[in-house]
Amino acid sequence: MEYVLHLFILICFYTMLSQSLNLSAGFAGLISLTHAGFYGIGAYTTAILSTYYGFSFWPSIPLAMLISGFIAFIVSLIALRTVDDYFIICTLGIQVILFSIMNNWMELTRGPLGIPGIPSIQFFGFSVESKIPFLLLSLFFVVVIWLLLRNISRSGFGKTLTAISEDEIYSQSIGKNVYLSKTVSFMLSAMLASIPGTLYAHYISYIDPTSFTVNESIFVLSIVIIGGLGNLAGSFFASAFLVLLPEALRFVGMPDSIAANMRQIIYGLILVAVMMTGKNGVKEMIYNSRDNTSRL
Amino acid sequence: MSQVFTNISLSALLYLLIASSYSLIYYPTKFFHIAHAAVVTSAAYLVYLFSIQLSIPFPLAIVDGIATAALIGMFCELLVYRPMRKRNRPPLAYMIASIGLYVLLQNTISLYFGDDTKVINTAEISVGHQIFGAYITTIQIITICVSLVLFVGVNLFLHFTATGKSIRAVSSNPELCNIYGISSNKVILIAFTLGSALAAIAGILSAMDTNMTPTFGFNLLLYGVVAMIIGGVGSTRGLLAGSLLVATAQHLAAFYLDTKWMDAVTYVILILFLIWKPLGFSGKRLKKVEV
Repeated sequence: MEYVLHLFILICFYTMLSQSLNLSAGFAGLISLTHAGFYGIGAYTTAILSTYYGFSFWPSIPLAMLISGFIAFIVSLIALRTVDDYFIICTLGIQVILFSIMNNWMELTRGPLGIPGIPSIQFFGFSVESKIPFLLLSLFFVVVIWLLLRNISRSGFGKTLTAISEDEIYSQSIGKNVYLSKTVSFMLSAMLASIPGTLYAHYISYIDPTSFTVNESIFVLSIVIIGGLGNLAGSFFASAFLVLLPEALRFVGMPDSIAANMRQIIYGLILVAVMMTGKNGVKEMIYNSRDNTSRL
Repeated sequence: MSQVFTNISLSALLYLLIASSYSLIYYPTKFFHIAHAAVVTSAAYLVYLFSIQLSIPFPLAIVDGIATAALIGMFCELLVYRPMRKRNRPPLAYMIASIGLYVLLQNTISLYFGDDTKVINTAEISVGHQIFGAYITTIQIITICVSLVLFVGVNLFLHFTATGKSIRAVSSNPELCNIYGISSNKVILIAFTLGSALAAIAGILSAMDTNMTPTFGFNLLLYGVVAMIIGGVGSTRGLLAGSLLVATAQHLAAFYLDTKWMDAVTYVILILFLIWKPLGFSGKRLKKVEV
């Protein structure tokens, strides 16, 4: 039962990550591979604040969001000069730089040793240690982020982002500030990505850089694409599917060592299939929808 | 200091080989074929499979490895990219599909061979030869010679043979080529085969020098891509300058800071170039940068 709850918590983390990436990748068309970096910034911020300076969980969330947003702002100054595949290569480079800072800045992050002993979350004098309260807490954040993103997508700003991803020059010509909207969506998406980071650090109580590699970024991006760009519910279902997939493989009798690789092979295959058919996510592939709205 | 110089030229030539294999594919197709990294890795692992697990003689195993890796590159084109071209998919879709292909191929390798470090160079470890006060091993000398010969060979091929000229023709305008009876599909397939074979050679050389893990091709490829972008896409001298710059920066960082900052320095250079000189050394307009 503990293990099932652990899986549910993981689904919550990946839902938050992929939905926040969906804001920049799905709505604004900024396919970024830096997301694991922002996730890591959230985790490291709260880990350093709580173990070295004795901060509690609640003030470290806004701080992590601020730091992550600030770094995203710097990143957007660089990356938004490029578009399409150069944007992906550029964000990939930034992801490698962020990883190498986490891995090598010994004084701050303790490098590959990681930061152990992150305290559990305190909630009105009640310690969130066991799985069920933690799951409820994560669910709360999932709901908050989901509602926030849903409202953004229905707002004028969300429509502007969709317009920009469809035709940048046209949206500029009707007076939309393309650069500002892109920057804001990129920063917002990075800030939201730091929330699952802080939760993750308090949940696992030990973090090291290997959780925030390029592969993790590719994994989150795959969730978004498999779930469908701009489809928030799709991101949730895709996270649930990809988190539960190794368990399903184990259930049919595949050994542990193979199941992890098999999951990656399967999502690689799905990614290729989605890109080849040109449907927006697996849902459209299954229902074979006629309207080919995908921008990818 | 002469050791640093030797290391710089060694890495520069290796990156040059990767960059030219990569640009051979990039010129006619105009998208980032990330799965190229898996081709680099798979070549080294295939040599391991053939020579150590199936005990085929080493030279033959290398030839087999290169041929099989070239086949993998061909299959990527035939099974994935060509159907996508037929459906007129937007440019970004190819790159995402190639990321998917990379994940697929890399994990197939991990699944079969395991994630631990493998050694294909069974020769005895020796101090190496001493040239101008710097130590260099036999395999490093081979790497330098092979890379130089292949780089010159690729450029001669692109400029003086009919096939090479048609690759350049497709790079500049695929539709016009089709009108003139050059099948762009066929040319792209040739480019994929040759590019993958070159990448396989680079992967095998690198694995013999420094051993291998299932992900070593990814870093190697990214250095090559960075060299290509810095150099400016579509220029031979640019490729040379780009790989030299990347290798120099990496080894100076290793010399003055620490080897662990080599990766970060590479990408900082890439970013600086994207900010101040988005067209690379050659100055050819890329159209995609700077909208």
